Amino acid sequence: MNANLRRNWLVQGIASVGDCGLFFVAVLGALPKSLRYWRETCRQVWFVGAMSLVIVMTCGLFVGMVMALQLYYTLSIFGGTAALGTVVALSLFRELGPVITALLVAGRAGTAVTAEIGLMRATDQLDAMGMMAVDPLAYVASPRFLAGLIAMPLLASVFNAMGIFGGHLVGVTWLGLDNGTFWGNMTSTVSLHKDILDGLYKSIVFGGVVSLIAVFQGYTAPPTSEGVAYSTTRTVVFSSIVILAFDFVMTAFMT
Amino acid sequence: MNPRPSYAIGTGLFILLGFAALAYLATQTTSVANIHSGDSYTVKARFQNIGQLKARAPVKIAGVRIGDVQSIRLEPQRMDALVVLSIDKQYNDIPDDSSAAIFTSGLLGDQYVGIEPGGSPTFLKSGDELVLTQSAMSIENLIGKFMVNGGPKSSSASSAPASGDAPASGKP
Amino acid sequence: MTVAVAESGSPSDALVQVRDLRTRLGAKLIFDGLELAVPRGSVTAIMGPSGTGKTTLLRHLTGQLRPDAGSVRVDGEEVTTLSRRALFGLRERIGYLFQNSALLTDFSVFENVAFPLRQHARLPEELLRNIVLTKLQAVGLRGAARLMPSELSGGMARRVALARAIVFDPMLILYDEPFVGLDPIALNQVLRLIRTLNRTLGITSILVAHELAAIRQVADSVCLIANGKLVAQGAPDELVHQDSPWTRQFFGGDADGPVPFHYPAPDYATELGFAGARP
Ligand SMILES: Nc1ncnc2c1ncn2[C@@H]1O[C@H](COP(=O)(O)OP(=O)(O)OP(=O)(O)O)[C@@H](O)[C@H]1O
Ligand SMILES: [Mg+2]
Repeated sequence: MNANLRRNWLVQGIASVGDCGLFFVAVLGALPKSLRYWRETCRQVWFVGAMSLVIVMTCGLFVGMVMALQLYYTLSIFGGTAALGTVVALSLFRELGPVITALLVAGRAGTAVTAEIGLMRATDQLDAMGMMAVDPLAYVASPRFLAGLIAMPLLASVFNAMGIFGGHLVGVTWLGLDNGTFWGNMTSTVSLHKDILDGLYKSIVFGGVVSLIAVFQGYTAPPTSEGVAYSTTRTVVFSSIVILAFDFVMTAFMT
Repeated sequence: MNPRPSYAIGTGLFILLGFAALAYLATQTTSVANIHSGDSYTVKARFQNIGQLKARAPVKIAGVRIGDVQSIRLEPQRMDALVVLSIDKQYNDIPDDSSAAIFTSGLLGDQYVGIEPGGSPTFLKSGDELVLTQSAMSIENLIGKFMVNGGPKSSSASSAPASGDAPASGKP
Repeated sequence: MTVAVAESGSPSDALVQVRDLRTRLGAKLIFDGLELAVPRGSVTAIMGPSGTGKTTLLRHLTGQLRPDAGSVRVDGEEVTTLSRRALFGLRERIGYLFQNSALLTDFSVFENVAFPLRQHARLPEELLRNIVLTKLQAVGLRGAARLMPSELSGGMARRVALARAIVFDPMLILYDEPFVGLDPIALNQVLRLIRTLNRTLGITSILVAHELAAIRQVADSVCLIANGKLVAQGAPDELVHQDSPWTRQFFGGDADGPVPFHYPAPDYATELGFAGARP
């Protein structure tokens, strides 16, 4: 593109979205080849997924607990505390689970992926792989992308389960709601298709988006300490914006 | 070939955990959970109007949960609702002339089936039917009554259904 | 140019053939019609002042960087227009020593050296171990096999990178400054290694280096690059004694001459504000 044109920030923004799109196509193109490096994918699932478990579980627990507390207070105004289980479950499955998990993963794993790839670029490791006839797209980018795609829905499920547990803990164990009411209302309202699967689709999309942004930012990070630092920040900022925007769009389409 | 099998194990565990959580959510928090069988026996009851009663709603005696609603369906020829209650095996000494009613916990809360024990020396068995039933109180009817009767006197009555001893006059 | 550039063999037996290479990086013209031929089975040293584009040339040879114009042929294949897949195919036959080692920091020394083998050859673990340890032994670092790259000194990292570059016994090895940071003993070992690889396996080597003494021991010919062109080529001893302004200045180490010591810059006095700024 013309150098003058590139200076305009709007054009630059659009161009970087385009770059990201092209990168996405390149990553998809490298996916078949990256199946050979499934061990690397496995390692990344470990890193993105398993290593995020603690934070995701803790946050899920507290989100469920605080939701139960808040909702209990609000619902008791209308005498509708029996709906607590339902409301906690629906909010978790449809919105909070996918979104908060995605934000947590962007902060916890996305930044790490960006910094790691950025440093690999800065220390010529990506070039070195290329020179050893190992496509860094297939060996570095695709496995991380795939790992995000795999790990995110699983993490969101764990988050939701912990949230339900937290909600149950507060609602039933602490505030003394009836256990059967809690579960009964939940199970009669929550639908496998509309709620759990829709939430799952969301988190798969978020997983793809977060890991794509993280990998892209790392891959295109200027090979300097400042460049890597900025790219890491951008990963969090862009991921958060895109997650919430996609969430809105997907919710609008799903309901 | 790879010197680090620990990743593979850890990743495998993580994936298993994720799917376990997903399976848990799918089976325990959705309607899938209502298909269950435990150590319990079933008793039938017919209601003119079940209001907002839902499957898995609790069944209580004297406020203590003894089981839950297993299924609700319409009896086409009689045009009433057949509710199947699943009651814990340990409560096998409920008199067979007991009555069932649908109550609301709180003003707008969910509904449950309350069983008022009778005095018969014989007990309910699996497959028996509770003959004496009382339909759900519908809020529209209550409001309707309030409008017709008017006056501040009946406003105190609006809390009556919550305690569960209102007469079953709420027929359409 | 002032010196006749010797045509080293006919193009058919040249493993690397560069024609009319033109490259501009940023605002700087790096290559301006470079011609280069490296015969199969030779050891060719590339010399030139810092920043002339020796690393850039190696990057052109391996397709990491596409030139603006010109042709680069390696083993009969036109690198500049090669598809990604074909390029990776070619690179499997090329070893490359990075100027800054570029070891994979996630892997131990052993795994770094084993990496190309693991990716491209299905070898039994036992054989792979033997090959890797042999190469590490050749650079004197067999004992460091279990260390991580962060635990190595600069010179050690360089030798590991060297072991990694040669582990596949490729047809062509490109060394970007292999002698930097090596003590005299290691230097001799590496020199011997390069020579052995060349003499016994016939591996063609292109090495970028500044150490004239070392180059004299291994290189069959030396190419001197300056101002984006090949300015002199010949056997090391010949070249040193050649009477051309380029060689005289470069090997004599003078700051003044046709080979620029300074990166292109505006006039010194003007930039410091002494000239023209005065009323
Ligand atoms: N990405 C880039 N953008 C702009 N200019 C660059 C870029 N990379 C390298 N250069 C310029 O290209 C020139 C050649 O760089 P190169 O690394 O090839 O030099 P070199 O001959 O290997 O030097 P040295 O002996 O110090 O390693 C340098 O002057 C450098 O300023
Ligand atoms: Mg260089």
